[in-house]
Amino acid sequence: MLPVLGFTLLGVTIVLIVLLFKFKVQLTLHTAGQIAYTPLMFILAVLALNYLLVGLEADRIYFLQQTVYGISLGSVYALIALGYTMVYGIVRLINFAHGEIYMLGAYAGFFAVTSMGLHFVLALIFAMAAAALAGVLVERIAYKPLRNAPRLAVLITAIGMSLLLQNVGQKVFGSIPRSFPRQFDGLYQIGGINLDQSRIIIFLITFLLMLALQYFVNYTKPGRAMRAVSQDRDAAQLMGINVERTISSTFAIGSMLAGAAGILVAIVFPQIRPTMGLMPGLKAFVAAVIGGIGIIPGAVIGGLLLGVSENLVTAYLSSSWRDAIAFGMLIVILLVKPSGILGRNVREKV
Amino acid sequence: MLKITDLHVHYGGIHALKGVSLSVEEGQIVSLIGANGAGKSTCLNTISSLVPASSGQIIFMENDITKSAPHSIVKSRLIQVPEGRKVFPQMSVAENLEMGAYVRTDKREVKADRERVLNMFPRLRERERQLAGTLSGGEQQMLAIARGIMAKPRILLLDEPSMGLAPILVQEIFSIIREINAQGTTILLVEQNAHMALSIANYGYVLETGRVVLEGPATELAANDEIRSAYLGA
Amino acid sequence: MNIKRHPNHIKGSAIWIFFGLAVLIFVNIQVATDTLDFYMVGVLSVVAINVILTVSLNLINGVTGQLSIGHAGFMAVGAYTTGILSSSFGTSIYINLILSGIAAGLAGLLIGLPTLRLRGDYLAIATLGFGEIIRVILQNLRITGGAGGLGGIEWIDNFYLTQTVTILAVIIIWRIATSAPGRAMIAIREDEIAAETVGINTTKYKVMAFVIGSCFAGIAGSLFAHRMTYIAPNGFTFMKSIEVLVMLVLGGLGSITGAIFSAIFLTLLPEFLRFIDEWRMVIYPALLVIVMLFRSQGLFGTMDLDFGQARDVLRKFIPTKYRTTTQTQDQNTVTFRDDHVVKPEEATNPLLEVHNLSIAFGGLKAVSNFNLTLERGSLHGLIGPNGAGKTTMFNMLTGVFPPNEGEIIFNGRRIDGKSAHEVASAGIARTFQNIRLFKDLTVLDNVKVAYHMQAGYGLGTAIVQPPKYGKCEEQVTRDAMHLLDVFNLSESCMTIARNLPYGAQRRLEIARALAVSPSLLLLDEPAAGMNPQETKELVELIHWIRDEFNLTVLLIEHDMSLVMTLCQTISVLDYGIKIFEGSPQQVRNEPRVIEAYLGEEVS
Repeated sequence: MLPVLGFTLLGVTIVLIVLLFKFKVQLTLHTAGQIAYTPLMFILAVLALNYLLVGLEADRIYFLQQTVYGISLGSVYALIALGYTMVYGIVRLINFAHGEIYMLGAYAGFFAVTSMGLHFVLALIFAMAAAALAGVLVERIAYKPLRNAPRLAVLITAIGMSLLLQNVGQKVFGSIPRSFPRQFDGLYQIGGINLDQSRIIIFLITFLLMLALQYFVNYTKPGRAMRAVSQDRDAAQLMGINVERTISSTFAIGSMLAGAAGILVAIVFPQIRPTMGLMPGLKAFVAAVIGGIGIIPGAVIGGLLLGVSENLVTAYLSSSWRDAIAFGMLIVILLVKPSGILGRNVREKV
Repeated sequence: MLKITDLHVHYGGIHALKGVSLSVEEGQIVSLIGANGAGKSTCLNTISSLVPASSGQIIFMENDITKSAPHSIVKSRLIQVPEGRKVFPQMSVAENLEMGAYVRTDKREVKADRERVLNMFPRLRERERQLAGTLSGGEQQMLAIARGIMAKPRILLLDEPSMGLAPILVQEIFSIIREINAQGTTILLVEQNAHMALSIANYGYVLETGRVVLEGPATELAANDEIRSAYLGA
Repeated sequence: MNIKRHPNHIKGSAIWIFFGLAVLIFVNIQVATDTLDFYMVGVLSVVAINVILTVSLNLINGVTGQLSIGHAGFMAVGAYTTGILSSSFGTSIYINLILSGIAAGLAGLLIGLPTLRLRGDYLAIATLGFGEIIRVILQNLRITGGAGGLGGIEWIDNFYLTQTVTILAVIIIWRIATSAPGRAMIAIREDEIAAETVGINTTKYKVMAFVIGSCFAGIAGSLFAHRMTYIAPNGFTFMKSIEVLVMLVLGGLGSITGAIFSAIFLTLLPEFLRFIDEWRMVIYPALLVIVMLFRSQGLFGTMDLDFGQARDVLRKFIPTKYRTTTQTQDQNTVTFRDDHVVKPEEATNPLLEVHNLSIAFGGLKAVSNFNLTLERGSLHGLIGPNGAGKTTMFNMLTGVFPPNEGEIIFNGRRIDGKSAHEVASAGIARTFQNIRLFKDLTVLDNVKVAYHMQAGYGLGTAIVQPPKYGKCEEQVTRDAMHLLDVFNLSESCMTIARNLPYGAQRRLEIARALAVSPSLLLLDEPAAGMNPQETKELVELIHWIRDEFNLTVLLIEHDMSLVMTLCQTISVLDYGIKIFEGSPQQVRNEPRVIEAYLGEEVS
């Protein structure tokens, strides 16, 4: 009985994945629906695996519980990965400093809640605004002057910016972690699985922001300008698009999402520190590559996949292998399909 | 309408334009012909400000646009249809047309122009929802021109519209260019297919290693022996 | 041979070299007489370890141009190999050094083989990933002591040993970088596709650089382990990799001199300015950003010291009669080696046969069912409108694009599906429509790179440099100069290629192609951008090289006067299909050609 259910679910998931590809290739409609069923697909796949692989009822609940944790962690990765993907799509740069923007978002949220005593929603907005500002500043100072420099030079600069922000953060905020005041205490139980309010909020806000982003990129004029610049910068200029301004707004929006991720992560894992951006930043980049860099739904798929995998590895193997899984997945995807799950292969022009 | 004086351009370490002067009168079709590497595309890209000029002057509608940003040149409705089409491959045909009208704010007229353009290119109407990257070469060229028209150009710069097209399509593209001109758009045409280019133009310039070596009414150029042997293979 | 200074050689090299030696001797005297305190001698070891790390990373990132940001991982492999050997088996440091180098080199091979297919950003991120994975593995294995680290390593901090190892490492890497394998690596950095088409197996040389670099990182790790006696995984994080990268970038990617200098400078600086140590983690990244923004080529760019100058100075002190003569032969007497001149072939079969060649890009057929036969010694033209698929044909013939269908038979052997360097070594050379020279190398080096296959020696010879090495190098230089002479470029042999005038760049590209000693030469629009006078000279030149080098030539051209006077047969390509083939006269009169290409209306 159980395996049958498992196989059915797996079948449905595969159909959905196929449909997703069809949508991507055949239709141009980047519907909000497409991104909406990325997580749906995911949950189905997890359920299928659950029924297929795990025997005992108690084990199954443990598995699902870990997956729920994984999805909330994955949401954070997805939010950060979106910024990486957008920036890469438009300037072909791995913005290493993106993880530090996320860290700055967390600190901005922290100060908004503690020093300014703002409500959580206001703090979220404040953190996003602060992160956007920081992102644009980084772009203006460190990347814009190198617009026509070799990509290696910009990449090294990005690494430098990342470490600089991190270490300046150590000096300014202190290297001792700060405790983010608890915001949400609610706890629900569904079928024996614990769902805390804060994790639900993380997932919902992430989901809403992704929908908003998808709408923005596909159905608004500035969004369309971004896509145009990422597809062909010269042609975009010939359409009358102000490329520099478009690049800045891409950094602003990507950083905004990272800022949101920063404060959201703090309501579940309330310890914030200046080095908190390094690992999630790198991993979110990995998530973006796994999904197909430059592709918005890809970042979401990659983020969730990574979050869940990490939690399952921690649960079943050991937390000390946790960091290896992300990079292991990265290597596998790079070797098997460097353009990522949703990506297309491109050929160099000779 | 468009006047270029003594334009010099250095591009990738090479002195690509060495004092080019040319002018385009309103309502005309002017052709710029020459071999590959003579500097034809560089010339158009300098007019559109994608490539900076080292010295010289470009005047469009009595304004000096030599140092203007590319997007503000588009706003003055000087529009280029680039070499190799450069449509946005991940956007639908409809979205590509909307990108063409990016700088326009007159929404109602944009809609009307869209209809007009789709009537001009019925094949694009059939493929309105298709991704531009999946179109054939000829269709992409049509889309690129259609996208250019959507900007409501005063002058349209066309860079090698015949490139990579089957002969029958080349004929079609050229008759469309003539039609666009008949509807009141001035055209500056860069072509390697010299015969075709001269057959529809009023005036022509011949570019050779970054210099204008010959100019004159298109019919005279087409009859010129030197041109015939160098570019027309006769 | 050439009196002019190589533009990448630092001015007054001899003085700097002697100065450096003096400093080294001074330091040695200080150590020998116990003038330096114990702590400072220890610092010198750190300097040496950093020098090895930076110089070895330079081979990967600077010389070969492959951005690796996981160098600390290989250092860790070396350190742990030594750690385990020393703590468990008590082996001597000499064995440990060697085995650590081998272990790290093997790790480099394991990681390099799959990842070096990736380019730029992707490679960087993959190396980062591997670096982290190595660390996580060390953290989890019992044999490495887990996160707690590994202790009980024999304490050895012998200044003289460390110094010797470091100097050896620098010499070996220096020799590799300045010999034939190094030229191949530099070519990869400059233009990977062009490197392939002159016969360089780019994968092989990328992996080679990566393995050698990793090997020396492992040796550095071994020295480090013996110095520290205790090692832990967090000593080899991403930060450590970045620290080495900062040293490299400050010195200048590609400059060994720069790598040495900045490794010494950045290691000693915090020792003399204590407050820097506290702010080190802020200053390092800030320095990285500032260097990239304001001087992205670093302090030295790709400049290096020229030991030849120092040698010349020393030679002046040797009495004349003891001097070894390095007088070269008169240039005019130089002839090409035998393998240049293709033996009179009994073979009467065509040099090249192409059957039904097709390729599609994204569903669009760029070339379909193309057939072509080239007789030995013929001059064949390929014409057609822009975008007709001519360059795509070249790309298929030279192995840059694998065709979807059809076969290519060259000299009786199937070559379709072979990689570009294999095709080049089979004897097909080419030029590119939009000139792909190694732009930042000198004119002479451009040609020397292409003599790669005839260099006649390998990595071992490059490192040991027996007399054979000198002879081979001299031969290559002489041949290259001779070729440049033919193309009227010998005057500007020390000019950086990008500074040549356009016409000269085109000629240099042909010269470079000839250095591959091909039997078939493909020229992609050789006359583009040339004025009529240059074009006329080009026609003569092509004729001349065809006879002189026994070549068959296939050329794409739009300049009708050139094609018509030069070619015996012409194929006309339109819209990916060959519509006609015949003599110039036939082509001129063929209605289909006129309609499609020449443009005369058919009446």
